[in-house]
Amino acid sequence: MEKPIFDHGMNTTRRHFLSKMSLGLGSAALGSLLIPNLFKGGGGEGDVEELMAGLPHFAPKAKRVIYLFQNGAPSQLDLFDYKPMLNKMHGEDLPESIRGGQRLTGMTANQAKFPLAGSIFNFKQHGKSGAWMSELLPHMASIADDLCIIKTLNTEAINHDPALTFFQTGAQVGNRPSFGSWLSYGLGSENQNLPGFCVLLSRGKGNGQGVYSKLWTNGFLDSVHQGVQFSSGENPVLYLNDPDGMDRTQRREMLDNLAELNQGTFNDFGDPEITAKVQQYEMAFRMQTAVPEITDMTKEPESIVKMYGPECLVPGTYAANCLLARKLSEQGVRFVQLYHQGWDSHGGLPTEIRGQCLDVDQASAALITDLKQRGLLDETLVIWGGEFGRTNYCQGTLTKDNYGRDHHPRAFTVWMAGGGVKPGIVYGETDEFGYNIVKDPVHVHDFHATILNQLGLDHEKLIFKHQGRRYRLTDVAGKLVKGLIA
Amino acid sequence: MARKIQKLTSHQVRRYFSDWKELIYNLAFFLNGLLIFLLLFESRFSVPFWMQSVGRMHPLVLHFPLVVLILYSLWVVIIEKPDSTRWNAELGESLLIIGTFTAAVAAFSGFVLSKEDGYESDTLQWHKWLGVAISLTSLIWYASRKYLAPWKLSSKAVAGVFLVLLFVGGHLGGNLTHGEDFLMSPLGPSVDETPKVAFEEAKVYDNLVRPVLEQKCLSCHNEEKSKGNLQMQTQALLTKGGKGGVLWDTTKADLGLLIGRLHLPLDDKKHMPPRGKVQLTEEELVLLAAWVKSGPRFDQLVSSLSPQNPVYTYAQNVLGGDRTEEQYDFSAADPDEIKKLNTTYRLIKPLSAGSPALYVNFYNRANFKSEEIAGLIPLKDQIVSMDLSKMPVKDEDLKTLAGFPELRKVILNFTDITGATLNELKNLSKLRELSLSGTGVKMAQVKSLEGIKSLKRVYIWNTGLSTDELATLKKGQKITFETGFRSDTLILPLNPPIIVTEKQLITKDETVSMKHQINGTVIRYTLDGSEPDSVQSLIYDKPIAITKNVDLKARAFRTGWYGSKGVDKYFFKAGYPIDSVRLITPVDSRYKGKGAESLSDGKVGDTERVSGTWLGYVENDFQSYLFFNKPVKASNVTFSMLRSIGSSIFPPTRLEVWGGPNEKSLKLLKVITPEVPTKDMPGAVNLVYEASFEPQELSCIKLVAKPLGKLPAWHGGKGQKAWVFIDEAIVN
Repeated sequence: MEKPIFDHGMNTTRRHFLSKMSLGLGSAALGSLLIPNLFKGGGGEGDVEELMAGLPHFAPKAKRVIYLFQNGAPSQLDLFDYKPMLNKMHGEDLPESIRGGQRLTGMTANQAKFPLAGSIFNFKQHGKSGAWMSELLPHMASIADDLCIIKTLNTEAINHDPALTFFQTGAQVGNRPSFGSWLSYGLGSENQNLPGFCVLLSRGKGNGQGVYSKLWTNGFLDSVHQGVQFSSGENPVLYLNDPDGMDRTQRREMLDNLAELNQGTFNDFGDPEITAKVQQYEMAFRMQTAVPEITDMTKEPESIVKMYGPECLVPGTYAANCLLARKLSEQGVRFVQLYHQGWDSHGGLPTEIRGQCLDVDQASAALITDLKQRGLLDETLVIWGGEFGRTNYCQGTLTKDNYGRDHHPRAFTVWMAGGGVKPGIVYGETDEFGYNIVKDPVHVHDFHATILNQLGLDHEKLIFKHQGRRYRLTDVAGKLVKGLIA
Repeated sequence: MARKIQKLTSHQVRRYFSDWKELIYNLAFFLNGLLIFLLLFESRFSVPFWMQSVGRMHPLVLHFPLVVLILYSLWVVIIEKPDSTRWNAELGESLLIIGTFTAAVAAFSGFVLSKEDGYESDTLQWHKWLGVAISLTSLIWYASRKYLAPWKLSSKAVAGVFLVLLFVGGHLGGNLTHGEDFLMSPLGPSVDETPKVAFEEAKVYDNLVRPVLEQKCLSCHNEEKSKGNLQMQTQALLTKGGKGGVLWDTTKADLGLLIGRLHLPLDDKKHMPPRGKVQLTEEELVLLAAWVKSGPRFDQLVSSLSPQNPVYTYAQNVLGGDRTEEQYDFSAADPDEIKKLNTTYRLIKPLSAGSPALYVNFYNRANFKSEEIAGLIPLKDQIVSMDLSKMPVKDEDLKTLAGFPELRKVILNFTDITGATLNELKNLSKLRELSLSGTGVKMAQVKSLEGIKSLKRVYIWNTGLSTDELATLKKGQKITFETGFRSDTLILPLNPPIIVTEKQLITKDETVSMKHQINGTVIRYTLDGSEPDSVQSLIYDKPIAITKNVDLKARAFRTGWYGSKGVDKYFFKAGYPIDSVRLITPVDSRYKGKGAESLSDGKVGDTERVSGTWLGYVENDFQSYLFFNKPVKASNVTFSMLRSIGSSIFPPTRLEVWGGPNEKSLKLLKVITPEVPTKDMPGAVNLVYEASFEPQELSCIKLVAKPLGKLPAWHGGKGQKAWVFIDEAIVN
């Protein structure tokens, strides 16, 4: 083979070489004409990468998410999943064939009997879909045509902390990035004057369960993706205000000087964390003006106050957080996470759930209507639901009008609205005991995959490599639930 | 001579041919170069619209190189020796160069085509790289053809590899165009392949029922083969039925022949489709039954059904759930330009990776200027949506907006527009959604929007349009008007007012202030402990000065609302500063607050007994001296105490105030004997006792409070001693 190549080389004439060369150059020249600004100074791959970074994989239906997390697990059987069979068999034991060896929590594992408890609340069908909802949710019922009610969510965890962590991070163990952090990482922030992931807490009167900052952790992602908690006090974002005796000009000068020093260090070491830090300082500086504008409720029209209920003006209530969530979302915050505590009704459920529904029903429905009337519902995905459901049998003593329910992971109800999910449908079916899923189950991983899809992200492509393996929000599972997508 | 001429001619002819090949070779060379170049910078390349048809030539061209190169490769494989009569070098070379050139064209056009949306699979990646490989290797093959004579083993190996490349590449290409299982599907069970239609336009019969019939029934019930005299191709034939009569009878329990026979057990001779044929799935059975039950109707839209209808659900599974991305027919903007125009307060982003379409959001009202919109003009052909909500957009800015012809969605919520220039937007021929909520638009202006043909949805909540006007608009067919929530008829109770002042001990320089979250709400209050009403009570208009101890009660009122619940707070008029305090009897060690200091620290009125501000006494009386360095003119002493029935904290049975110039010469100034509370009194309450006496100069005051010796019989701890709690003493 060497000889022919040598021969070929010897036979190549200058003319031959030049003509081929000019062709090659010509093709490159035409190519460069087809790609604008290829050779322009300051351009290069970096620019495009920078532009493309934080872009959805495909055209998204939703740009933002508001997650109304009902912490403690609301009873689907008293709100959405209407099971007249339970009323018929009130007090009778749950057939073993239905329970099918489901593990129980330590709270009811030792119960001798599992008496079925029918809901004492009246159910009616609402909207074009004829979705069943109980009398506890009159406002949500009035927007049934906007809701996509999923009756068949299921999870593996049976206790609050792992279940909550699973819902928020895709894993039952801690320290994985939370949902909002994944989105902030995958899509970036829309508004550079506010964090991409905000967290709002409120507490109902019912039996509460803890909420901890690990639920909005960035895990192994960059710390800029961590959720920022807004509190109800005088300073909604802690450490944001200038210290006493320092005005904004001084702050500006201080930041400029600091940035200069940091730039020097960056030039020496080239650690990107340094520039990230400078950017964080700058954002905090801009947040000083953006946050007061957001948290100021006085400019809201009166009809908004009536719609959310006047409680929305009392900082720290669920209603106030719903209104704040709308304002944050409207200002481009990618993921607003609410937690409302108090749904863990192991006993005295009827009383507790009444109070909880009074807290959340009106404001949740108002949020949907509010987004809708601004033309934002189609680009904002709202999610309402807890970490699991509650059992169809009673925990503790069952009386005619009082009962408690334990944790139930096998089937529970969550609803979504807006953001390109099908409005006005009820998805999935449970058996007549409301215990098992008989049609169209939606696992937490599937739920995550579907939400990511609505945001234009392929859940299998949104990955981060950490300690030698690639991580996803959906880990190694999750499939798109097409039936939910409009 | 003649011979010479002939020779020359043939030479010329050969020369001509060789030039012809050289030309094509150069073209192929050029195309391959261009292809490599574009592949190198693939991420930055987006197809200019004029080049799209080059891409679409791909299916047209690709078969040439496939056939020609297969032909040539096979030919090379079968040539066994140099002088084989089967070999024609001239023809071989021609074949190879034609194959090389067409392969280059096919590869290039294929590359361009791959940049169009809709091709994203792994198959495409394989096909693309195989195509590029074929094009490049054939070029190299042609270039080195002199050293790869067909009878050599090396060239046979090349030909073999080439054949594999061609077959695999071609097959993958076929898969891309026709679907993965196109080739093998006739051998296996048939798969659902309904042409995709938009959910809104899908018809029950056309898009759901017919495909099932075509797949599962038509093979035996058609023009050529009509078993049981039944043909199912058209509506008329279906309605006519077959030998057994019409196909459906909705009055029957089994819905007639069609559904009845589908439901028969598989072993039954009359079961359809017959044994051995592909059976209907459960879902398909449900679909057909539901369809027949409904009439059956041939023109019904799926979207007109209730979402709970099984047909609707079936349609969702078959038709819905796919990403339907809008295709944009413009090319992407210069990334540098986008980067340059992005600011902290103006976000410009592509809709998704690789999409030429941009959306723009504006933030921070204070930073907004009209030029911010005009500045986007370089991107006017790419911007499809703009969110200007809450920005001070003026009427004249709409003219600028009209210069963005690609706009699909514009949000102008709570901007400063009055609607006067709304008709400027009529030229936005692609506008689909317009949000005007919270602006001052008028009826006629909104009505004129109907002139925008593409417009589908308009948001006009909170615009000041009357209920009648909104109703008229909603009646219109073309545009959906979202009118949102109206609160006119809804009456709710207001929130109670907020007493801003936190401290309860008010000096004469200080005041008590209140507020309400809704501006313009009237706060009415009383200071004498009576319930405020909406007519008589004082209107709060400025902070209240405290001239004596007062019980402030306030409520909020506003038209269109019910009055709020009351708020209630006790305020003490601050007294003379007490210079020192000495407790005479020891405080109980469990509730000792800050010791003597507690009585004069200004902290009053906590109802929490463990808050650390209370002094508690149970075994002995409370007794304490208050000292003033300079005599003060005193006329009363206020005791701030606690009642907490459950915790056995009761009012004292007797309060005494003693006064004098020093502790040695005190006289009794006042005695108060509070009543023992009854069972039904509220639990934890602050108690205020004011002991008034003749004004006199005092330097020392002694206070005494005696706890109840025995808890009353109704109390859980009956017979035991009660506590007294005191947290402040105020001398005026």
